[in-house]
Amino acid sequence: MELIFLPLILGIIAFFIPSKWIRPFGLLASLSVLGVSVAHLIQFDPRNYVLLFNPAEAFPLGLTFKMGYDGLALTMVLLTNAIISIIFLANWNREIASNARFTGLTLLMQFALLGLFTSLDGILFYTFWELTLIPIFLILYWFGKQDNNRALFKFFLYTLLGSLMMLLSFIALGYFSPNYSYFQLVQANFEGKAFEAALIMGGILFAFAVKIPLFPFHTWQAPTYTNAPMAGTMLLSALMLKMALFGMIKWMIPIGFEGLVYLKWPVITLGGIGIVYGAVIAMKQKDLKTLFAYASISHLGLIAAGIMLFSLSAIEASMVQIINHSIVAVGLFLAAGIIEDRLQTRNIDDLGGIAKVAPQFGFWFAVMTFISVSVPFTAGFIGEFILIKELFSAHWVIGITAATTLVFGAVYMLRAYQGSMFGPTKIESFKDLTWNEYLVFGILTIAAVGIGLYPQMIIEFIKPSIKFTQELMAGDLTLTK
Amino acid sequence: MDALIIIFITGLLGLFVGMLKKSQLTLIVICTGLIAGFLSMFFMNDYESIFSSYNGLSFSRTQQMFGLLAIGLTLLAVLLGYAYYKEDTEHTADYYGLILFSLTGAICLIGFSNMFMFFLGLEILSIPIYVLVGIQKGNSLASEASVKYFFTGSFATAIMLFGIALIYGSTGSFEMKEIQMAIDMGMSHSPMLNIGVLMMMAAFLFKVGAVPFHFWGPDVYQGSSNAVMAFMASVVKLAALFAFVHLFNFTFQTLTPFVSGLVLFAIIVSLFLGYLSALKQTSFRRMMAYSSIANTGFALFAVLNQQFGEASLWVFLIGYACSTIALITINMIVEKETDELSNWKGIGYANPLIGITLVISLLSMSGIPPFTGFFGKYLLLSSAFSDHLPFVILAIIASLVGAYLYLRLMLLSLSREGEGQKLKMTGIQALVLIVSLAGTVGGWLVLLIK
Repeated sequence: MELIFLPLILGIIAFFIPSKWIRPFGLLASLSVLGVSVAHLIQFDPRNYVLLFNPAEAFPLGLTFKMGYDGLALTMVLLTNAIISIIFLANWNREIASNARFTGLTLLMQFALLGLFTSLDGILFYTFWELTLIPIFLILYWFGKQDNNRALFKFFLYTLLGSLMMLLSFIALGYFSPNYSYFQLVQANFEGKAFEAALIMGGILFAFAVKIPLFPFHTWQAPTYTNAPMAGTMLLSALMLKMALFGMIKWMIPIGFEGLVYLKWPVITLGGIGIVYGAVIAMKQKDLKTLFAYASISHLGLIAAGIMLFSLSAIEASMVQIINHSIVAVGLFLAAGIIEDRLQTRNIDDLGGIAKVAPQFGFWFAVMTFISVSVPFTAGFIGEFILIKELFSAHWVIGITAATTLVFGAVYMLRAYQGSMFGPTKIESFKDLTWNEYLVFGILTIAAVGIGLYPQMIIEFIKPSIKFTQELMAGDLTLTK
Repeated sequence: MDALIIIFITGLLGLFVGMLKKSQLTLIVICTGLIAGFLSMFFMNDYESIFSSYNGLSFSRTQQMFGLLAIGLTLLAVLLGYAYYKEDTEHTADYYGLILFSLTGAICLIGFSNMFMFFLGLEILSIPIYVLVGIQKGNSLASEASVKYFFTGSFATAIMLFGIALIYGSTGSFEMKEIQMAIDMGMSHSPMLNIGVLMMMAAFLFKVGAVPFHFWGPDVYQGSSNAVMAFMASVVKLAALFAFVHLFNFTFQTLTPFVSGLVLFAIIVSLFLGYLSALKQTSFRRMMAYSSIANTGFALFAVLNQQFGEASLWVFLIGYACSTIALITINMIVEKETDELSNWKGIGYANPLIGITLVISLLSMSGIPPFTGFFGKYLLLSSAFSDHLPFVILAIIASLVGAYLYLRLMLLSLSREGEGQKLKMTGIQALVLIVSLAGTVGGWLVLLIK
């Protein structure tokens, strides 16, 4: 239980810490939560299911309040805690880090995310899903650009609409299952009711599609990212989007598996469109942050399409790619944040020759760019390679569409890098990296290369969990491998 | 039953204590009486009532829960009004006395077991409110509201009475059990009965303030003081809604197919009209009035749910009433000469307690978990899910409009421009805020008690 409630307690304390101490407090708090989760990792056997909270009987309304984790959830927990620590570290020399409200809200956000990843009850999952919205919303409102109300309304109402659809689905699930325990929901019997299953799944998918975002639901993303503070963008893209992908793997597909036949190809098609669309739009962007936002649509389209195949290796690759995307998102948005911080602009046209003035930043930005375009020996290479291979074996058209991400990705990322870092020097001075920025880039690079060299570390870790889900769905699931 | 007597006597006692012109003493007497009433209601099954032979009132477990909630909310409304009425020592006692008499009516309306007691309760509930609305004598808005409310309200009561007469004419009894039996025996197609039920329903829709009988709401809210508004939005609404649900879920349950279409119409129109009109308001009170119309729309889903209707309504009302009282308290602290929403700019950023209460109340009202408002809506909607799916989806779309409304207010009051604007509030107001905050955050935990 301390795994989930520690950030809540620390978050509440944070609001009362004087601003002089808040900077180290935030970092130490997030590191201590990370430490707790590592302690859980050490005791964890991937073949087991760890229940943190397991009331013997169901409460009224089918609430069970079960919480616990398997390999999949623990991976996400560790990812969350690591990224939150990195976000605090990345913001160390910024004004935002000495604000108690920011630190408190980020820790509350961490609480909601950990709750989401470890909840094993449908209504609890929904509760935490909504709960994540509140802190991020306040962070965006207080620390984002002024007059960003329009973008915020769009963001909030869009995601709320998605959540309400998910709520409808969960209410409907109540008719197929005795209570909302995850294990009961997965075993919910949809025999001969594939269409109902597809409808229920569709409601849940709607919530996830808005958050990922899949192609026609993405319109909130770019304005929200551009108006958000650097830390807010990192939280959104590195963690909040992952909630939806995790939800697809762990909740949506196992629960409504019978309905997958109806939704598989529509979602894969949308993912395919997203891959090309996001990349093409990204190529034309001048604002670095908007560019990275559209790049993110492209990358996540690939992951979402891969998850819908629901084959063992596709899910493993998706998990690798989820982690990789978090690393890339933090790295790239940090780079964009550094440029904006020092030059007050993110427009590629106004930039140029930064690498000459600040060679260290040039080097590390290049490293992040290469990780983002998935050169071999980085995590992205493994993830994208397997995903494209899996999509190819499903259908060659989607395979080829997915493969364009490699080419397009290189085009827009290298264009962004070249336009801002090389060429005629348009800037007068550029303060090179500070120690905390070095540290962040270093950690991210080590992680990406480490996973790239030894992806089994993650793949073997989550394999038993997927197998377990498979057994739980007993008989009505055929994994292709 | 004893709770009723205790509260009535406290009201009388309050009037006499008021002669001393010590508002603090009056408050203490009233609060003690309310707490005594609460306790006697709470432990009502543990001791022999002195009126055990009287069967005009009977309290089941659910009715007891509603009674407790009504007394608790009245306590909050009384505390909330203290800061306003202590200035006016001449009338402090009038105000408290009237609120307590009205609560007596509310308890009759919760525990009634025959039509006579029901009508009596309705009148005792309403008449003090007509007076309370107009208690600020110099204020022309208040006089307008009072007169308007009195005339339309008495008209609704007359229709209700006519309905009761028709029902008596067709079933031959005032006792709820006998009416129910007569209906079950095959009276359900009698036109006289149906017209009677229809008239009762119209009067009920007026009392709870649902569309198309909602026109009094905004004017009355605007004319009344904050404390009266809080009392009306919570206790009066609670009692009227409970009587509505109780009557239609038990006594008229065979007639559900006949009324459900009309109720669904009222629900959907209330939801959309309420929220959409609220979007256009610039005054806090009018906005609250329209938002309460919309919330009534949600609450009316309970009428269609015979199994869990009352329990769901209870949870919903905790969330709704606590957040409404919190918002009205904040309005009382913020209000200058007018209740324009622009007064709210930035207040939540500079004052942490107000900010937290405000955010959580508004989130609860927009139906975001894990606050009580969400669980109330969830219960109401999930029970209507299988029978009235299209209406549930419409209600969800409406609640999205509502979320936009509350979100806008939230953004306004959390604006960073408010930095440094400290507001003064009394200890009692802070107490009310904290209690209603606790209700909003933790009210749903009662679901875990079996």
